[in-house]
Amino acid sequence: MGSFIKKDLLVFWRDRKEVLLSLLLPIVLIAVLNIALSGLFNSDEDSINIHVGIVEEDNSSIGMEQFEEALNQLNISQVEQEAALKQAQMLDPSKTVRDFFNNPELQDWLHTQNISETEAIKLVEEGELDAFVKIPEGFTYEVLSSIIFDEEADVGLTIHADEQSTELTTLQNMVNNFVDSVNLQFALGTSAGTDSLEQLLPQGGSEIMEGVEMYSFSQYITIAMSALFSLFIAQTVAMKTVTEKRERVFNRIILADSHPLQFLIGKTFATFCLSLLQITLTFTVSQLLFDIFPDKSMQFWLGILIIFTLFALSIAGLSALFTSISLNLRDENAISGIFTAIIMGMAVLGGSFAPIQSLPAVLQKIGEWTPNGLTQTVLLEWIQFTNPSDLIIPIIVLIGFFIVCLAIGMSIFPTRGRN
Amino acid sequence: MLETVKLSKTFKEKKAVEEIELYLHAGESVGLLGPNGAGKSTTISMISSLMKPTSGDVKLDGKSIIKNPSEIRKVLGVVPQEIALYEELSAYENLKFFGKIYHVAKEVLENRIQEVLEMVGLKDRQKELVKTFSGGMKRRVNIAAALLHKPKILILDEPTVGIDPQSRNHILETVRKLNEMHGTTILYTSHYMKEVEQLCNRVYIMDHGRVVASGTKTELLSILSTEDTIQIQLSKKSDSLLNTIKAIEHVRRVDETTQGIRIISKKGSNILSDLVHAAEKEGIQIIHFQMEVPSLEDVFLHLTGKTLRD
Ligand SMILES: Nc1ncnc2c1ncn2[C@@H]1O[C@H](COP(=O)(O)OP(=O)(O)O)[C@@H](O)[C@H]1O
Ligand SMILES: [Mg+2]
Repeated sequence: MGSFIKKDLLVFWRDRKEVLLSLLLPIVLIAVLNIALSGLFNSDEDSINIHVGIVEEDNSSIGMEQFEEALNQLNISQVEQEAALKQAQMLDPSKTVRDFFNNPELQDWLHTQNISETEAIKLVEEGELDAFVKIPEGFTYEVLSSIIFDEEADVGLTIHADEQSTELTTLQNMVNNFVDSVNLQFALGTSAGTDSLEQLLPQGGSEIMEGVEMYSFSQYITIAMSALFSLFIAQTVAMKTVTEKRERVFNRIILADSHPLQFLIGKTFATFCLSLLQITLTFTVSQLLFDIFPDKSMQFWLGILIIFTLFALSIAGLSALFTSISLNLRDENAISGIFTAIIMGMAVLGGSFAPIQSLPAVLQKIGEWTPNGLTQTVLLEWIQFTNPSDLIIPIIVLIGFFIVCLAIGMSIFPTRGRN
Repeated sequence: MLETVKLSKTFKEKKAVEEIELYLHAGESVGLLGPNGAGKSTTISMISSLMKPTSGDVKLDGKSIIKNPSEIRKVLGVVPQEIALYEELSAYENLKFFGKIYHVAKEVLENRIQEVLEMVGLKDRQKELVKTFSGGMKRRVNIAAALLHKPKILILDEPTVGIDPQSRNHILETVRKLNEMHGTTILYTSHYMKEVEQLCNRVYIMDHGRVVASGTKTELLSILSTEDTIQIQLSKKSDSLLNTIKAIEHVRRVDETTQGIRIISKKGSNILSDLVHAAEKEGIQIIHFQMEVPSLEDVFLHLTGKTLRD
């Protein structure tokens, strides 16, 4: 097995053109795109000014009354009722939100105005406002009952905007942090016994309008290019198999009576190493050059490494499948055509050329299940929330993808040179 | 030790190999001779378990290897017609890789690599990448790679095609040594009669997927013992003369060659006077006349109507 891996890595390494192309091209592309487009996006980062409209459709006193009524329906003691009511009045969700936006410390660069929704939409369209935050009807009541009765709330704060901007990203991060900190405060401030208070503003605590994401263009480019070029590695390694077959080395390998699995695992492991190396290198260099992910924690980078590892694994699975396919087909052009088609399909669906959200819904769904699409989505989520539990399902899916590809690859692996 | 039983292979419509029967005794050196497309490589692929026969069997020590090819793979070294090496790796790296996958023990592999490099005379160039080698050198590494696991039987598929005479002699010498000094059983495929004559105890001649003759050199030559081969050169080319000659009694074949006309006739039938008459009638002179001592080449021509180098 070791000899196969060594051979595959050595063969790749000797092909200097291929090495340069695989390892440097993504970095070069990211650099070019960053330099070319940075002016468009980050020109006035230092003097940021955010104009936000606050659309309040909630009436907090009505909400409070509703809440009191609901309390009365409950079969609890007078003392408990009063305690809950007091807590609710202290909390006053709408007011907390208003206070947050009117915080004097933020007034230098955060400019808010209270307006109606129709006006807000108009101003956002005209570009007068960067976004508006909507406190929806029933907000007070929903939030209170979600906390105190432990119910699912189905309304939450929403942010509305119609184009990506640094301002919007900042606003979104602010609102997220705010929501998180309020949740935390509340969780710490309440007595034991209520253990399901994770979310003050559950489900849609902040909502994003279509086409707008909370990551920067540089981040998108870095991730998309890394994922795309990793896909190419699967193809590169598999096409080496075509050469092995054409040059009859494969016959020799068969004559040596090596187990097919060794050949396949050799390819798979080599691909794994190469794509992990490539994606890590791309990220590291891009980060060092452009500080694409500023001020991130160790945890953030560790998560990134884990995602990379699993993505590289899924790419390795893909190369196992490709390898077996190439050993089964005679026509080299057909083989490379098939690979290119698969990879381009995955690249488009997985959002390597344009964010996945710009695709029709059905394709988006499929795209999210391609290993590169999934990885891209997870990475972007990770950038925004760094929430470890978000990683679990993608990890399982990527491992699953690897296993399925490898299994198919093994089952169609030929045991004779030609038939 | 190795034999084929009615071994056949059909590609789609084309019968590439038909009911080939051949055997190799331990220690023998056997030639498989035939023009391009005769089915030599196909036969070898089936013997070496790379290709499943359409019908028939390959037996090693009496046991069929079709179902369980592992047995033959262990004792067989195959030098394929194509260069089966990693161009991007050095000669040494190639041999190391193939040695490992042939499960040559770690302790002996290093020595063995040097041994086979010595045998093919490339010891001092082992660090160089295969892609920088000449055709002849590549062929030699190609052979070396098949020797690492000390195979009992070595099959070589046209190992000297398109290379310089020096490499060619080196290869022939290597094969001869393997057979004579190491007792390796050899199956040597070629379309060069000379090589086979030089190396092999026994020869199979293949054409159109069939074995058309087999035996030792003397046995094969005796096929021609009933015939004379006459080579004549004429002052002028003439189709009608050719036809007249064909009609002469006892003439069995007439072929045009680069030198003139080759006539095969029944042994001892004196057709010379008939020939001279026929030529005179057409007003053509016989410039040169020669009775040939038959060679294997003539046997081949006799059997297939082709020269080997066609
Ligand atoms: N894979 C194949 N598919 C179809 N025809 C083949 C294949 N391999 C060989 N042939 C045909 O079988 C015949 C014998 O080929 P081969 O065994 O290579 O001859 P040789 O080695 O004696 O030159 C040729 O006519 C060739 O075209
Ligand atoms: Mg051949």
